[in-house]
Amino acid sequence: MNERLRSVLRDVVTYVLPPAIAFAVVIGGWEAYVAWRDVSILVVPAPTDVWERFAEDPGYFWEQGGWTLYEATLGLIFGTAVAIALAIVMAHSRPVERGLLPLAIAMKVTPLVAIGPVLIVIFGFGTTPKIFLAALLCFFPMLVNALLGFRDVDPGALEFMRSLRASPWSIFWKLRAPSSLPYVLSALRITYPLALVGAVIAEWFTGNRGLGFVVYSAAQNLRTPELFSAIAVLALIGVAINIALSLLERRVLFWHESVRSTR
Amino acid sequence: MANEIQHVRLRGLSHVFTDGREPLPVLDDLSIDVPRGQFTSIIGPSGCGKSTLLRIVCGLLEPSAGTVLIDGAGPQDAQRSHDIGIVFQEPALLPWRTVAGNVRLPLEIDGERRRNTDAESLLDLVDLSEFRDYFPHQLSGGMRQRVAIARALAVDPTLLLMDEPFGALDEITRAAMRYELLHIWASQAEAAARKTVLFVTHSITEAIVMSDRIVVINGRPGRVVADVAVELPRPRTQEIERSAPFLDYADHLRGLLAGAAA
Repeated sequence: MNERLRSVLRDVVTYVLPPAIAFAVVIGGWEAYVAWRDVSILVVPAPTDVWERFAEDPGYFWEQGGWTLYEATLGLIFGTAVAIALAIVMAHSRPVERGLLPLAIAMKVTPLVAIGPVLIVIFGFGTTPKIFLAALLCFFPMLVNALLGFRDVDPGALEFMRSLRASPWSIFWKLRAPSSLPYVLSALRITYPLALVGAVIAEWFTGNRGLGFVVYSAAQNLRTPELFSAIAVLALIGVAINIALSLLERRVLFWHESVRSTR
Repeated sequence: MANEIQHVRLRGLSHVFTDGREPLPVLDDLSIDVPRGQFTSIIGPSGCGKSTLLRIVCGLLEPSAGTVLIDGAGPQDAQRSHDIGIVFQEPALLPWRTVAGNVRLPLEIDGERRRNTDAESLLDLVDLSEFRDYFPHQLSGGMRQRVAIARALAVDPTLLLMDEPFGALDEITRAAMRYELLHIWASQAEAAARKTVLFVTHSITEAIVMSDRIVVINGRPGRVVADVAVELPRPRTQEIERSAPFLDYADHLRGLLAGAAA
């Protein structure tokens, strides 16, 4: 038991302590700088001011964060579903790949957030524009990664299955789909935060709720502590998503080098 | 169909790879007949087209010229009726499946299911029953290759194709695996009903120890330069490697491979 306690302590010292110190230094430095230069609260509030505003009504921030997370998640689901469906078709047909990939790349190099102002014209004020923009931002990285994943199969395993005349269907489900999981999961680490970006930006333009709306209206009214509180909650949501995804990765990819080598 | 003596008939096989900048001929006019139940090794230096030959036999590659007949039909038919088992140099197991799950994989693929094998008895055969719930990354290289062998046997194919199956193993494991494979092969059926094996290797010792017959391929493109019958008694054990006839065969083969390379 003593031994176990010691190993837990050692883990805390090696993994938790360094980032905690770094975080404390940044926050402390920020607080000290604001006090030293006497920065106006309207320009940059001290961390304590931000905390004060948050503590006044934490329920409000969590609720708005919940909306943003909800919209981002729905967008992620739609964007991912379409991307994977398309990747499946492209993985099985070179002509389709040649036809669609340039389009997808054109989409990728376009700063898609620029369509934010148009969303209101197309979709109005509801949840749809948020989901749409979130899905749009998720789409490309997932498409490319899933396509790579479906192609990156063990050539020996593929030939073995072909030597038994396995149908493309069973090659897909038994070989390609599991092989793509590492790619899809690492893509999710990119696309989930992107979905949050999409949802927040859509909220700026078309929202009456969500953290994007909070940021926007707080900035309009110079309520900077509120603005920073909203940003802090967004950061927390991002961190939580990342932790959840790495736990999922450890569970699902127990067989993959990337997970095994970190044990 | 089962009464035909020649199980595999290769006639005038040639192959040229054309996907490179220059056409690359790898096989030139090979004709080999393999009787049912024979253990035949194909030996030759790297780059002589041995692996290409095996991929043509199992229908993964279309030859530029010549025909392949397995039981009188094309390799595609043999694939369809799950008549072919393949083992490669790399075990190529599915890392997310357990040992038992990997062995069961071929049984989950639709095909003509006229035979009845179960994963358990195959695991027994390759001596891995205790490891049935392990994942490939928890096994040693030799154990993984035994899983690959069990997987190839799962559909109870009549023809077993092996492409340097022990080539990636260390020398000690490799030496043991030879006799283990012979044991598996012999224990599957009486001599008359044994599986036909086409075994690609570049090890002279391996070829002599395992085979009834050794086809020597050499040159670029590869041609058949000799066809040697190995008349050593079975069952064979490690002692055979020190016997006089074994050493004679080894000398003879070394001469053939050297002579052809010059």
